Amino acid sequence: MNIAGRLISAAILGGGLLAGTAIAQDSVRIGAVNPYSGPLALYGDELARGYQLAINERNAKGGVLGKRIEMIRGDAGNPQQGIAAVDQLVTRDKVEILIGTYISAVSNAASDAALRHQKVYWDTNALAAELTERKLPNFVRSGPHGANFAEMSVRATVEMIAPAIGKKPNEITVWLEHEDSIYGKTIADVQKVEFEKAGVKITGIGAHNFRAADLTDVVLRARRANPDVWVQTGYVPDGNLMLRTAREQGYKPKMILFVGTGDTFETLDALDTEYLEGLFVVSYPRPDVAEKFGPGAAAYLDSYRKAYNREPVAPQGMAAFTGMHMLLDAVAAAGTTEMTKVRAAAKQLSDRLWREVR
Amino acid sequence: METLLNVLVVGILLGGIYGLVSIGLNLIFGVIRIVNFAQGELVMLGMYGAFLAYSMLGLDPYVSTLIVMPAMFLFGVIVQRVAIQPLQAESSMQIFATFGLLTVLQNVVLVFTRGEGYSVATKVASFSIAIGEIRITGTHLIILIAVTAISVLLHLFLQRTLMGKSIRAVTQDRQAARLMGINVERTFMVTFDIGSALAGLAGALIAPIYTLSPGIGDNFILAAFAVVVLGGLGSVAGAWAGGMIVGIVEAFAGYYIDPELKQAIWFLIFLLVLVIRPTGLSGQVGAEEVGFREQS
Repeated sequence: MNIAGRLISAAILGGGLLAGTAIAQDSVRIGAVNPYSGPLALYGDELARGYQLAINERNAKGGVLGKRIEMIRGDAGNPQQGIAAVDQLVTRDKVEILIGTYISAVSNAASDAALRHQKVYWDTNALAAELTERKLPNFVRSGPHGANFAEMSVRATVEMIAPAIGKKPNEITVWLEHEDSIYGKTIADVQKVEFEKAGVKITGIGAHNFRAADLTDVVLRARRANPDVWVQTGYVPDGNLMLRTAREQGYKPKMILFVGTGDTFETLDALDTEYLEGLFVVSYPRPDVAEKFGPGAAAYLDSYRKAYNREPVAPQGMAAFTGMHMLLDAVAAAGTTEMTKVRAAAKQLSDRLWREVR
Repeated sequence: METLLNVLVVGILLGGIYGLVSIGLNLIFGVIRIVNFAQGELVMLGMYGAFLAYSMLGLDPYVSTLIVMPAMFLFGVIVQRVAIQPLQAESSMQIFATFGLLTVLQNVVLVFTRGEGYSVATKVASFSIAIGEIRITGTHLIILIAVTAISVLLHLFLQRTLMGKSIRAVTQDRQAARLMGINVERTFMVTFDIGSALAGLAGALIAPIYTLSPGIGDNFILAAFAVVVLGGLGSVAGAWAGGMIVGIVEAFAGYYIDPELKQAIWFLIFLLVLVIRPTGLSGQVGAEEVGFREQS
């Protein structure tokens, strides 16, 4: 290509970019803060798939505030990257709202950074209770938090597992195992309080590093205490290693209850289905949950399969999908993306939902 | 008493894992003194190699070692030629290069797997010996046998063969070795490649125990360095013993004290050994300096 040809191409390309920018200004831009690279990217990508599905549905119905909705990704695997991602999304990409993520530490830093820009930070998946305890004026949480998981695991033990093994709540014993970061510890702390309130005897509490090369000690300590229910809060690698080790050691308590993970193909691949019989999981609602308990879940699963030609990687994607819909409902109700108005609209929607549920 | 014996057995089997993942590093760091922080990633590649052989060819991970080891040997040739050899006069730069390699390998695997956790199945996993409370699983037993056999073979290789003697000579005094007609560059390359192949072997053998992830090498690298230093740099028997010590201490500390403290406890012992005997348990006096001194 000669110089004149290159100049013409550059002019066309430049014109195209300018036209693109002009079109983009007619859209509501949402910055999605998640890890999209590094070892945490698997679930970051899954959350973004959930967001995008919700956006596609809304755009098919005319978008929000009369504009198309556009998602722009901000890659963040740690708090520093979370702050940088928010700054970049707001100043360079001109996003009006921020949404994210399943890593509490990133959510903490990113929402703080969003407040400095006076933008809403809509949290769909992070679990740490302290995120809402900060009472930031721009922060809204649409997903569950750690205490919900802890309380649900106690309810599951008392209301479902105890009758199944023919015992009253004050007759059953539990061992609380958790990975030793703030995620596992905060959930175990709430579990301890709630189990004691319910009169359940805790035979021991164990903590381990989720990167440990061996968890036989963890298994043997639980076996020594001989609980009816073995409760574990952790990640996929340590959960799988623990179950494999327990199987090798010939240890199978009456019931095993996993919190947070344990219901993905990663665990199914790691262990045979026979050993997984009797394993209960408290986690995010699954896309294949019965329609009675999760209205709309089947439709989500259907559209996920159509869009991505595969099964969902993890249930966190559906929480992200619902969270994005809730955010767009709040924006539509507020009639603006302005921080305080969106938050007020979210509260009204939340109050209305609770009234309907009750 | 039976519990105590079971914990001891668990510790020995765990020591086998630590010894196995350290054996390649013992050559690369212990013998030719390359501080290879990417050693855990070489083990990780071995694990994924076993997974690929299993998922694409239906091969048992133990059979896949016949493919994984030569592949990792060739990979070692490339790494050594591209990243290590050009920096042979800059040992500190080599360290940074291995850090770079670590990041590159983790992220390349991440791109292909998107972080999904994979598992490798083997029929051996269902085999175990049970004597009362004591359980010896097939996967762990194979690792223990493998690490012991490889240690013996490696010792014989370093002591009895011409190449083994060349490796030791180059480590002790590169210039004198060159004057004696030893091809120094080739010797370094072969040593690195064998270390890489052994890391691949370790990865394939431990793959049935763990859920594979791109960052899994990080779980082993700290322990591997500790084992090599504790045993005595370059001492094959020392590294075997170092692995056993770390495994047994970890098993007892984890069961009788606290799983959260087990790593801190064996690192405390590691520090004590270094203070009392800086060359490690089986290292020669002055050996800890040799490699660095002679590389300049």
